[in-house]
Amino acid sequence: MTTPQPENSAATRRTLFIGGSTLLTVTGFALLLHSYAGQPVFWADYIVIVLFPLLFGQIAIGFLLALFGFYDWLRGGDPLHLMRRPWRKNEESVPLAATAVVIPVFNEEVERVSHGIENMWNSLKKTGQMEHFDFYLCSDSNNPDRWIEEECAWLHLCQKLNAFGKIFYRKRRHAINSKSGNVADFCRRWGKRYRYMVILDADSVMSGPTMVRLVRAMEANPEVGILQTQPAMVLGRSPFRRLLQYSNSVYGKIFSQGCSMVQRSSGSYWGHNAVIRIAPFIEHCDLPMLPVPDPGKRHVLSHDTIEAALMQRAGYEVWVAYDEPDSYEEGPPNMSDMLKRDRRWCAGNLQHFWFLFARGIEMGNRLQIWIGLMAYLCSPIWLIFLIAGSIGSYDRARFLAFSAGPEDLESGQHAEAPILFITTMVLLFLPRVLGIASALPQARKYGGAFHLLLSSVIETAFSVLIAPVLMLFHSFFVLQAILGWQTKWTTQNRADTSLPLLHCLKLYGWQSLLGLGAQLLAWYFLGYNSYWLSLIFIAWVLAPLTAWMTSSRRLGEKLCAWGLFAIPQELEIPEVLEGLATEDGPEQAIVLSPLWPQALLCPYVQAVHLSMVRQRTSSRNGAKPASSLANLRERLIQQGAAALDKREIMRLLWDPETVFWLHKQLWSLPDSELHTSWRSLQSDCGDNDLLRHYLIVEPPQDGPDSL
Amino acid sequence: MNTSSDHTVSDEQAVWNQAHDRLRDFLNSFALGDHAQISRLTLKLLDQAREQHRQDPTLAPVSLALAQAQKQTEEWFASNLEINSPLPSELLASGNLALLLSRAFRTAPETFLTAPLPEKLKESIHQALLVTGPDLQISSMTPRAIDYGPMLDLARTTWHRWNPREVITALLFWAGVYFVFYWWLSGAL
Repeated sequence: MTTPQPENSAATRRTLFIGGSTLLTVTGFALLLHSYAGQPVFWADYIVIVLFPLLFGQIAIGFLLALFGFYDWLRGGDPLHLMRRPWRKNEESVPLAATAVVIPVFNEEVERVSHGIENMWNSLKKTGQMEHFDFYLCSDSNNPDRWIEEECAWLHLCQKLNAFGKIFYRKRRHAINSKSGNVADFCRRWGKRYRYMVILDADSVMSGPTMVRLVRAMEANPEVGILQTQPAMVLGRSPFRRLLQYSNSVYGKIFSQGCSMVQRSSGSYWGHNAVIRIAPFIEHCDLPMLPVPDPGKRHVLSHDTIEAALMQRAGYEVWVAYDEPDSYEEGPPNMSDMLKRDRRWCAGNLQHFWFLFARGIEMGNRLQIWIGLMAYLCSPIWLIFLIAGSIGSYDRARFLAFSAGPEDLESGQHAEAPILFITTMVLLFLPRVLGIASALPQARKYGGAFHLLLSSVIETAFSVLIAPVLMLFHSFFVLQAILGWQTKWTTQNRADTSLPLLHCLKLYGWQSLLGLGAQLLAWYFLGYNSYWLSLIFIAWVLAPLTAWMTSSRRLGEKLCAWGLFAIPQELEIPEVLEGLATEDGPEQAIVLSPLWPQALLCPYVQAVHLSMVRQRTSSRNGAKPASSLANLRERLIQQGAAALDKREIMRLLWDPETVFWLHKQLWSLPDSELHTSWRSLQSDCGDNDLLRHYLIVEPPQDGPDSL
Repeated sequence: MNTSSDHTVSDEQAVWNQAHDRLRDFLNSFALGDHAQISRLTLKLLDQAREQHRQDPTLAPVSLALAQAQKQTEEWFASNLEINSPLPSELLASGNLALLLSRAFRTAPETFLTAPLPEKLKESIHQALLVTGPDLQISSMTPRAIDYGPMLDLARTTWHRWNPREVITALLFWAGVYFVFYWWLSGAL
């Protein structure tokens, strides 16, 4: 028996994939053209004809990826994949190298992040390989409460786990270039100390054995620059998050397998839950500025795809380890949060257009950039397609009613239109069927076959309801990006908080009105021919209700109790996720605010803060502060903590002399010279939240030798 | 609690009550957990402040009492921790941190500001060290030149040279393409 040659096999797969998607698109296009045969063609029809191949091509690509993935699943995985190469036979003998686990944070839920680090630490410790790993919490937080809490949480972790010198904290004063800048800052400062870095998001968690195995894979395959895992979405309690994590679990895997089969060593990088070889990353992957006139818009917002492209341009491979277990992330808890995220991603993906024709970028990366672009551009194209299709349909109906002879009426009856419709439905829904088929052998892990099938039916109905809503929003985001409206990188909400009905009515109410108006217009102009549009209009009308209901925590709990949308990680919680679910962990996080004044009052919080800030700033040694700073100090004392805005507070906290001076003044000034709010803060100081949650801890049970 | 609003007390009593409450809150902020020790220290420091106030009645009792407490805290740290810092802020920050990390505020609260720490505790305090990051090993990470290809050339000419003639030519060209396409499809269908 001959072993397949990797290069030949890759070429065959790509030929099949590109050939297959082209063939399907051409077939669809031919069916569309034939459906017009013998009929009058109006101007709107030409728009439909031009846009059709773009949209049908996207559907064909998705279908083929699922088909490839299903085939890969049937044969038990890709024998040519990096994670199935001969090195796995002697995996334990592959040495490990110095690895940094880098967790960039930006105003995140501190207790959730530190709990995640603790779980990963404990999991790594069990592997006996802790000596090779260090953790870096790299903060860009600009919320003073979060900053002070992060410092205390870091100290708490170090004390609790006896991890001084193994878990580090770094706060950037200027958050230049968002997350990619944060990671680059780590690389510039400490990159040389490590061979690899495991990049995580604030909500990401990876088990120790997975990290160890991934590092071994990198060590055994020096040609690999990035090894990306396929993180499973977990810990959802709201219906929306549960639906997302369910579809990710049931359908996501075959798509990933399909992508991996086609992409092979030119895989994707999603910016987290991945291992990166640091030296080439430093040398080749700093993001170039975009060649746009406005200096404020030259930074690449969505960095991961471009970093993967630059890594491959440098001659390194990028792989997706799609079936590595114990790599997790959390999804957005509701539709509004997903839209916030999509707005950022849309702006980022559209920027990638610049790299589509850049020299030196590999074809596989160009394809990824194209697919990423089309993920958002498809929405306005669909919208135009639907409008043009409706107008064309109206024109045709009028023609047939007023101008057509009997021969025209006969020629309008074509078999191609239903065939095209059925083909489109098959391409859209067959991947779902394949996903369910691949999950069925493990139905028990989804709560049984009945629950799996019922959940899939409801999830499909939900996706039909949500797609038209997203189409409108994404079209708006594309327009925003094209018009150059600035998109800011904001903190992702990860708590399963229910959306108020009023918020849903305000944010989605216009879609309801649009849906009603469009339905009335369609009935008036198209009559019964508008039935195929009704589903879209209904989805628009129901948008506020859909958003509100899918965010309901109570409904989420009921779905959970009924065993709907269950995923394997929910029925059998992996060790590394224990205690991270909101009801038994971060939900009880600190909710009182503000926390930052304790950096001025509490001696311990202040000591932690000063010891960190002082390592970063040179002391003025009692010199007189700048007049603006002196003014801030006075305002703070006389008008209280609420008198300053976030930026002013950050400025005060960055100055160690000011922090110390304020500590002395706030304690020693008579009541008459202090704002009344300070007295209550002073009274609570000995039992403040930061002390209780983080600083007064039991000593670690293990000594340093236990690492 | 603050009794300055109590009409039954004199103004002088009110300001001393205020000094007492503030001093107690300040000492409480060290989370000693030993209420008796806090009371003892509060009264002792208050007496010292009264003495100072007798010598200079212009100074506010609150300020005197807290200044006394802060001074003694600095001296206590200096004598116990052998920290030779030129700045009181550094001395206090290091001392408080050592106190926190060694848990001496819980294991030996009776010694706070009054007695030398036990030798074993001193040793553990000396070992308390806060490392927020390892030694830097600076790397240069700069973007490599990238040629954006034909799109950049096109964009540059568009941004920097808005020549109306070229725009009109382009519009005419694409209109021509559209009509050819229209004619071809009309014929084909």
